[in-house]
Amino acid sequence: MGLVEKVVTWARIKSPWIIHFNTGACNACDIEIVAALTPRYDIERFGIQLKGTPRHADVLVCSGPVTKQIKCRLKRIYDQMPEPKFVVAVGTCSCSGGVFDGCYSVESGIDKVIPVSAYIPGCPASPKAIIDGVVKLLASLEKKEEKNKK
Amino acid sequence: MTKEPDIQNSLIKKFGFLEGKIRIPRERRIFADAAPENFATIIEYAMKDLSFTMLCTITGLDEGATLGFLYHLAREDGIMLSIKLNIDKNNPVIKTITGYFPGADIYERELMDLLGAKVEGLPEGRRYPLSDDWPVGDYPLRKDWKKQEGANNA
Repeated sequence: MGLVEKVVTWARIKSPWIIHFNTGACNACDIEIVAALTPRYDIERFGIQLKGTPRHADVLVCSGPVTKQIKCRLKRIYDQMPEPKFVVAVGTCSCSGGVFDGCYSVESGIDKVIPVSAYIPGCPASPKAIIDGVVKLLASLEKKEEKNKK
Repeated sequence: MTKEPDIQNSLIKKFGFLEGKIRIPRERRIFADAAPENFATIIEYAMKDLSFTMLCTITGLDEGATLGFLYHLAREDGIMLSIKLNIDKNNPVIKTITGYFPGADIYERELMDLLGAKVEGLPEGRRYPLSDDWPVGDYPLRKDWKKQEGANNA
């Protein structure tokens, strides 16, 4: 592993930038994500920052089941993100489709469209659960890096 | 409850064919069964002379052989007038009421997408609320509609 790569990986784990994308959620999970980001739960202490464009983001945070209308947009957003990229599915709906699974206008969970790294269930997922999921994702990246060192 | 019978009487006075087709099941609710040929005049009369100035929503129903359309009009004193239309399911043509209520546009597009109503006089526009790639002639709120096999994993 070259020095530049090392620095990049270190920076990615210490300060992942996220983009939040609503793929058809009822807005409950979105509110919880905002609660996790803002000072009350303050996910920024892990270096996590919300970005306005997928081109700046390492992690795509999705909420809600994938509707038929949003499916190709979700793929496009995912393709715009630079490698390596990770997807976090927040809420039961984005994990599996939830109560909307089988509805005429709904495709299913996020993982039917793009690969998902972390699933955070809950209706809505509480900010604590979101932080737990994000920290677990970061820990798994750290482990990967340690393996690479060896 | 004095205003409701007054409204019923003035509707019957103006439109004799509505005799026996108006029900007042409870306070502040009036239901009337209309036919497509006199529907527009009833809406106009209710709006201009009976001051039903608000369109709450339009409900679409699949009733087997016919499609039902309920136009819920409301007044500022809280009385609601629901005018019902029954149209043959094989050729469900209704006329737009956007001339009276411009906000009806979005409800009518919904009827077109979900129940397959044909709305005459509605200007061209984007479909709503189904996705852009939804197959033509597929109406998910009709009772005989079946989800296509293998369309997704559900």
